[in-house]
Amino acid sequence: MIMIYIEHPEENIICYHGPININLVSFTSNYIKKHIVADASVVGKIYKVFIELTQNVSYYSAKQYSKLRAFGSGIGWFRVDEKKDHFAITTGNVILKEHGPILKKNCAEINSLGESELRKLKRVTRSQVGIRDIGAHIGLIQMGLITGNPLNLNIESQNENYSFFTITAKVNKR
Amino acid sequence: MKNLIVDAIPDSPYYPEVNFNSETGICELIGESYMEEAYKFYTPLLNWFKEHTLELNKPVTLNLKLTYFNTNSSRLLLDMLDILKKSQEAGNEVEINWFYEEDDPDVKDEVEDFEIETGLQIKMIPME
Repeated sequence: MIMIYIEHPEENIICYHGPININLVSFTSNYIKKHIVADASVVGKIYKVFIELTQNVSYYSAKQYSKLRAFGSGIGWFRVDEKKDHFAITTGNVILKEHGPILKKNCAEINSLGESELRKLKRVTRSQVGIRDIGAHIGLIQMGLITGNPLNLNIESQNENYSFFTITAKVNKR
Repeated sequence: MKNLIVDAIPDSPYYPEVNFNSETGICELIGESYMEEAYKFYTPLLNWFKEHTLELNKPVTLNLKLTYFNTNSSRLLLDMLDILKKSQEAGNEVEINWFYEEDDPDVKDEVEDFEIETGLQIKMIPME
């Protein structure tokens, strides 16, 4: 059982756990766009980050909700919180254990690069990936570019086969 | 050659509206693009461009009016622009206009990255 602990309920805008498919992503992202009170450019960044992160759960969660659909219904959770000077978009999902070190390495690389280097990495990565499955890496690079902030990730072992992966992207209010 | 039309679907706003006109060569993508399995949506569009501009050597004006596209879609947009670059190199007339929202702080970098990757010139036009 996965528990989502909301430390500061007054800061939480939305929180969900369950299967995440394209229609939920679309509905929720538009809800967020309409209900978050902030500068239009900030709301736009939250919208982009939310879609990219939740689609990663949808596609790449190791636990898929097969009753709903065969593809793109990954089980996981998301939350959006408003802090004093930023908005935090967080997702969590189960991953195969062997994917943990790759995600850590990719995020460490993204967090170590400046904007121009990140853009170069995005161009190189985008030109190399296949069209059927471009993978989560380029989406994480895009999160680094859109937010201008480091990505905060956590990977906890669940058993010998699976780990639980959480990632937070912060969008500054100014 | 037939026109390629995909109407906007209000219940599925993650698919853009498509209007490719084979007579005029004016081709438009309008709305947002973050569907799952984007290659299934974009493959007929790429094939249309290949036939229209690489095989029939017809001119193209591509008007991109996308207010949001995810990284999956950006990969397919890159393929679309690569086809147009090949057409331009073959001597065909190619014009690309990117319509953008002025309060989007990321779009200019996105377009510049596409220009760097493809070698195409993309004209940026603010949306009204």
